Amino acid sequence: MIGLNHYLIISGLLFAIGLVGVIRRRNLLMLFFATEIMLNAANIAFAAASYYYNDLAGQMFAFFIIAIAASEVAVGLGLLILIYKKHGTLDLDDLATMKG
Amino acid sequence: MMESLVYIALFTPLVSALFAGLFGMSQRQVFVGIVSSMLLFVSFIASALLAYHVATTGNSVSVTLMDWIVVANLSIPFGFVVDHVSVTMMVVVTLVSTVVHIYSIGYMDHDKSFNRFFSYLSAFVFSMMVLVMSDNFAGLFIGWEGVGVCSWLLIGFWYHKADAPREKNPSISPSWAANEAFIMNRIADLGMLIGLFILFWHTGSLQYDVVFAQIPELPSIVLTLAAIALFIGAMGKSAQFPLHTWLTDAMEGPTPVSALIHAATMVTAGVFLVIRAYPLFELTPEVSYFIAALGTFVAFFAASMALVNRDLKRIIAFSTLSQLGYMFAAAGLGAYWIALFHLAAHAFFKALLFLGGGNVMHAMHDELDIFKMGGLKKYMKWTHVYMFLASLSLAGIPIFAGFFSKDAIIETAFNEGTLVLWSILVLTAGMTAFYSFRQIFLTFWGDERHNIEHPHEMYKFALVAMSPLALLAVIAGWFKNDFNSFVINLLPNYEMSEHTHHLVWYLGAIVLAFALAGIILAWVKYGKGLKRNEKVENRFVYKLLANQYYIPQIYEALISKPYAELSKFLWKKVDMRIVDAIVDGIANFIYTTGDEMRKMQTGNLSHYLNWMAGGAVFLLIFAGLLSMLG
Amino acid sequence: MDNILSILIFFPAIAGLLGFIVHKQSARAYGISVAAIEFLLSLWLWISFDSTNGAMQFVELIPIIPDFGINYYVGVDGISLFLVVLTTLMTLIGIVSMSIKSEVKNMVVTLLFLEMTMVGVFVALDVIVFYLFWELSLVPMLYIIGAWGGPLRVYASIKFFLYTFAGSLIMLVGILFMAYEYHSEMQVWSFALTDWYQMGWFGLDKQLWLFGAFFIGFAIKVPMFPFHTWLPYAHGQAPTIGSVILAAVLLKMGTYGFVRFSLPLFPDASVMMIMPIAILSLIMIIYTAMVAYAQEDIKQVIAYSSISHMGIIMLGIFAMNSHGISGAIFQMIAHGIVSGALFMLVGMIYDRRHTKLMSEFGGLASVMPKFALIFGVMLMASVGLPLTIGFVGEFLVLLGFYKISPIITILAGTSIIVGAVYMLSLYKKTFFGPITNDANKSLKDLDSRETWSLIPLVIIVAWLGIYPKPVLGPIDTSVSAMLEFMEEKASMQNTKDMILTTQQAKEGN
Repeated sequence: MIGLNHYLIISGLLFAIGLVGVIRRRNLLMLFFATEIMLNAANIAFAAASYYYNDLAGQMFAFFIIAIAASEVAVGLGLLILIYKKHGTLDLDDLATMKG
Repeated sequence: MMESLVYIALFTPLVSALFAGLFGMSQRQVFVGIVSSMLLFVSFIASALLAYHVATTGNSVSVTLMDWIVVANLSIPFGFVVDHVSVTMMVVVTLVSTVVHIYSIGYMDHDKSFNRFFSYLSAFVFSMMVLVMSDNFAGLFIGWEGVGVCSWLLIGFWYHKADAPREKNPSISPSWAANEAFIMNRIADLGMLIGLFILFWHTGSLQYDVVFAQIPELPSIVLTLAAIALFIGAMGKSAQFPLHTWLTDAMEGPTPVSALIHAATMVTAGVFLVIRAYPLFELTPEVSYFIAALGTFVAFFAASMALVNRDLKRIIAFSTLSQLGYMFAAAGLGAYWIALFHLAAHAFFKALLFLGGGNVMHAMHDELDIFKMGGLKKYMKWTHVYMFLASLSLAGIPIFAGFFSKDAIIETAFNEGTLVLWSILVLTAGMTAFYSFRQIFLTFWGDERHNIEHPHEMYKFALVAMSPLALLAVIAGWFKNDFNSFVINLLPNYEMSEHTHHLVWYLGAIVLAFALAGIILAWVKYGKGLKRNEKVENRFVYKLLANQYYIPQIYEALISKPYAELSKFLWKKVDMRIVDAIVDGIANFIYTTGDEMRKMQTGNLSHYLNWMAGGAVFLLIFAGLLSMLG
Repeated sequence: MDNILSILIFFPAIAGLLGFIVHKQSARAYGISVAAIEFLLSLWLWISFDSTNGAMQFVELIPIIPDFGINYYVGVDGISLFLVVLTTLMTLIGIVSMSIKSEVKNMVVTLLFLEMTMVGVFVALDVIVFYLFWELSLVPMLYIIGAWGGPLRVYASIKFFLYTFAGSLIMLVGILFMAYEYHSEMQVWSFALTDWYQMGWFGLDKQLWLFGAFFIGFAIKVPMFPFHTWLPYAHGQAPTIGSVILAAVLLKMGTYGFVRFSLPLFPDASVMMIMPIAILSLIMIIYTAMVAYAQEDIKQVIAYSSISHMGIIMLGIFAMNSHGISGAIFQMIAHGIVSGALFMLVGMIYDRRHTKLMSEFGGLASVMPKFALIFGVMLMASVGLPLTIGFVGEFLVLLGFYKISPIITILAGTSIIVGAVYMLSLYKKTFFGPITNDANKSLKDLDSRETWSLIPLVIIVAWLGIYPKPVLGPIDTSVSAMLEFMEEKASMQNTKDMILTTQQAKEGN
């Protein structure tokens, strides 16, 4: 029988994958993908918890996150294109202009 | 009527000071000196009238001008009292001051700061009048500090002179001597201030009459402490050991100043304080005995230094110190009226002696070394006569004023059974005669060792002005019994016991024998001229005395120098290296921490994300640990 | 003129803002006239002040944030009255004697703004308003030191600002905690000082902590040893006018704080802290006097002497009787006048020679007799000569503290000796002896502007030395009332024993 814990484990694994992506990747585009994975991990956890607690609030939250992720990608990708046009690269190591 | 006389006596010197001060920065104006002298004379007349009033009616006059400090239960008015003691001081002070003012018109003739001098001198007289006339301890303290400042101004009058090494000039410079005098007096003033505090917190007042009325009820420890504290104040003003070094250095001031301040008036303020506060000192026999013993010691100690000194003014200064010792001896033994009597007599003959010394300096173009004088009596007849009379009086030769007063003190020492003190005082009397006449002989008699063509005598009017002092130096003693019956209205009488009375002729004869022996010895050694003896001058004792027992050097090595070095150390090492460095250290720590932390901000998004992830993990673990611990 | 206090506070600030539109050439005249009007207003305040009444007068209260009990609440009593007058007087004289040439307009505006904050501190009765003015006063001074100062001005001004600011932040924590305590006890918020006075016993340890928080804020301002090291830098770098205001008024804010806050709010803690504070004061008196003696720069001598004199004031405040506290407040006025004048005098010689090192001078009395005379008068006032303003306060402080501890009084009394040592040696090195430096031979004596800015101070020095009653009377009335109140409020028997009210002192005899 598949229970809540299984979903949470999947969610945790996905989150970990996303996190490792965020930490290790140097390409901005890849960072976006990794962030999306982490968001979706959270979505799975919300939806599962919502189902097992009989509370629709969690699923509503998941929808919100999806909507926000979509708009974020729209804005973010636009910015990425601008950055690429300006610097000719998306590699983070070459984009360290905010050095303190 | 009497009240206005009090104000006239008190404030004319102030008016004189302000008047002369108006011209302080302008050219020499003779009329400034004349007006000042006249105003001082007015003050003298007023004092004399008050003395007559007090003597005839037996009442004292008290006036209160206004409140000064009023806080909680403390109330200090500007109150003045003219009673038997203060009126004696007033007459002495104003008389000597008037003479000195007139004399100064001649003495300061060529000085470009003539007007300023009169301003300071009159300001001094005003402070001195406040000191003696005040009816409370705080007012006394005003005068006490006031005379200190005027003394500072006047010692340092020739402030433009440069510092000289101690070997060349033992007083270094007028301004140095002035500062030394002021600071040493301040040490003593602290004692005085503490005495005031003790009296105030135990009696709730600083008025003489209130304090003295309550004194018998106070515990004896309080009285003893108060007496000690007040006497410390007296020691500074009256230059008693160990606060005595300033007095000889004060001779850097113009000679009229030495005559007025450092012989006749200010230095006797300490004696005056002990006399004024006699109800306190009467109840503290231990302190009084200490005063007498210290006075006797200083009398001898100062006389010993005078024996070998070569500086005309310093010899007189040492003799002043020695005579102050006599006064304290009398006051400490309970013979307050005798102390006051000697104070007055001493004021006359010592001022005369100093002014005579001023004449000699004038003639010798400011040379002070008596080894370089001699034979002056044929050029300066009057000065010689005056100084001779004054020295006879100082030496205690019968019929002269000093005989009556000093002999009485020595008799008192015998009468009290303090034979040690008595013998020291008798010995000192002999030494006094020796050094006074050594000075007279070396200055006026014998061979001429100076190279001044024709030493000129002082102006006539200055010599005439000195005559009242000369007269009093001779005859003041004849009024001893009148004086006694006058002041014992206020002061306790002191009479010799039957036993002493029987011996009085023998005692007098012993003292006289010592004095005459001193004069004869001086004649034998110096009467014909100066024969220097290298062997004697190189002896240890001679050098010790000539260098004032090396006390100024010791003070410098043990107090002034270490104080300066410690100050420097505190500034450079403690304040800069420790206190300030800690403050800067804290600031620097914050700066460097910030600087180091800045390195985290590489500008690389990936690094930031790493930090963020690490932070999130850390927080998770932290939260987990917290929930587990509970 | 019911709003006299508000006028006193805001008139200079508004006039200062208007000053921006005044023409450059007339900025100075404008400043003098504004300061003169302000000074006359403060004199009017003094004249209409009822000196038999020890309570707050001319009180104004306008709610600002009623929910938190924060009001615009001002008033004066005998303790603050003369500090207000001192502030307006020294600002006026400072502007009159000002000798800077650059950016005169900005300086005048800054000074007028500073005047507002200083008056505000002394009349504020609401703690938030007090704190506001307290902090605001730092800004103009920071600007004065930083913009017109000497070579190290940036270091000095930042040190001054951060050091005092750090202290005030700790005080702010104390203020908030105190307000919280008030709220827990009374169930309403209030920042009115008079309300806080009415608070009952709230535990000795809390009192001690609060005392400590306020202590740090005030002690840095005073400045007490060991928090004093910003002062020599600030004075050393500040222009003359900055030093005058700093020494004459700003330092008094610290000691005023002790009288206004620490004593009446925390009587038990204050009495417990008498000995530690007395020892710190002793160190201030003797140690800084010695450091002053070692200085080579005239201005630094006077800067360190300020610390030494502030030690006397601190000692008086903690004497817990009217002699000491009234004496301390009088001494604040005296020190304001005397140190202000001394800094002005140093500034005058600096304008001529552009150096303040004593070794550069010597024999000035011969070429500048007027200067030497006025310096001499101020010197004598500084060493506490009777019949000058400096004596009254010092005498009363020592007299008052003698009741607490004779030994400490004797040690503190050495200030009359060590003070004379550094002052007289300064005077000797600068004014006496022959003129050794050729540059000094042709120095001009004081001109009329300099003379006339100093003469009022000389007159005050003599007047309040001879007749201190007009000032001392109102101070004594208010201090006596405060002591009465402290004794009533104190909870521990020991505290009650240590506080000597005027009533008790009078009955004692």
